[in-house]
Amino acid sequence: MKTHILTFTLSFIFCLAARAELKWEQTSVELRPATGDKQAIGHFKYQNAGKTPIHFKSVHASCGCTAAQSQKDQVGPGEKGEVTATFNIGDRTGTQVKTVTVETDEAANQKTVLTLKAIIPQELEISPNFVFWKQGEKPAPKTIAVRAGKDFSVKHIKVTSSSPDFQTKVQETGEGQFKVDVQPNETSRLLASTLTIQSENSPKTFYATARITTAPTAPVGPGAPAIQKAPGAAPAAPTAPARPPAPTGQTR
Amino acid sequence: MLILAALSLLPGVGQAVYLRDKISWRSPIPPSEMVRVDQAREWGDSVIWIDARPDDQFARDHVPGAILLNEDRWNELLPQFLAVWSPGKKVVVYCSAQSCDLAREVAERLRKTTQPPMENVFVLEGGWEAWLKQKP
Repeated sequence: MKTHILTFTLSFIFCLAARAELKWEQTSVELRPATGDKQAIGHFKYQNAGKTPIHFKSVHASCGCTAAQSQKDQVGPGEKGEVTATFNIGDRTGTQVKTVTVETDEAANQKTVLTLKAIIPQELEISPNFVFWKQGEKPAPKTIAVRAGKDFSVKHIKVTSSSPDFQTKVQETGEGQFKVDVQPNETSRLLASTLTIQSENSPKTFYATARITTAPTAPVGPGAPAIQKAPGAAPAAPTAPARPPAPTGQTR
Repeated sequence: MLILAALSLLPGVGQAVYLRDKISWRSPIPPSEMVRVDQAREWGDSVIWIDARPDDQFARDHVPGAILLNEDRWNELLPQFLAVWSPGKKVVVYCSAQSCDLAREVAERLRKTTQPPMENVFVLEGGWEAWLKQKP
């Protein structure tokens, strides 16, 4: 019996000593991309601290917005390398957390989750982005709050409406804080406007939408103008153009 | 016996402490904000389908009538959605599979578009993969 225990213990110790072991310098990376950056790239460095080679079975990201890749398929004993995670920022804002799952053929700890945290600076915070009136509703003004993001100083903003059917009025309510009142001329027709919001000293443009909608559960009118749709998109309704041409806005 | 039971808990506790940074603390989507393919189909024309996947995946195939709305081009694509949305419409957002986050993120962002938050915004259980399995 004692021989069996001894054999088992020795085998266990031998296996521990001989096993492959991928040591990560860090499994979590925090990035702070600059305004206007298109991508944020995280580097996760590793070393094979074991005595046998390690093979990557898969490296995949939690989101289609992130591309993850390992430099090599096999890591020899003592070898170093890194997995890169490229996060496409797109129109994302705020704190974004994406993960990359790395699967190896190690006996233990086969899956490692790498975390990429990107804090995307937001120059202007706009809430809400969409104001609407039901058809026939009183055309009272509705308010959009605009405030400068953390670490940004904004003294003036300019708001332009793509449609003359909506009026906008900007008021400063505090340091870096503004109130944009939006008012339709009428609500009897289905109308829409894109509101372009810009701060001084910044080329970046922000958007909000104002619209007269159909009443709840009512079908969209057959006479409604057609919109530019994605292939196979849903039924037509009046739209707010994505890039408005003629400003009728106001600067504050 | 109790000592053995307590000892058996030690590895688990140790792992939880050691791996605390690796554990995803992202809250799961509440069941009330999820919808199954068959349920969503029953809603018929009162549903707006939103495809939250990247452009190329949408271009390959998508739920008939779905609108492309992803965070890669949010500012550009949002007006298409707002043009067809009206109060009372149900919105079903999907991405590629159960494991993807894009639908949850787009749904959350959509809710915040209006004040008070937009209602009836759901995430499709199982995503595009589930739709394909139950394709009529």
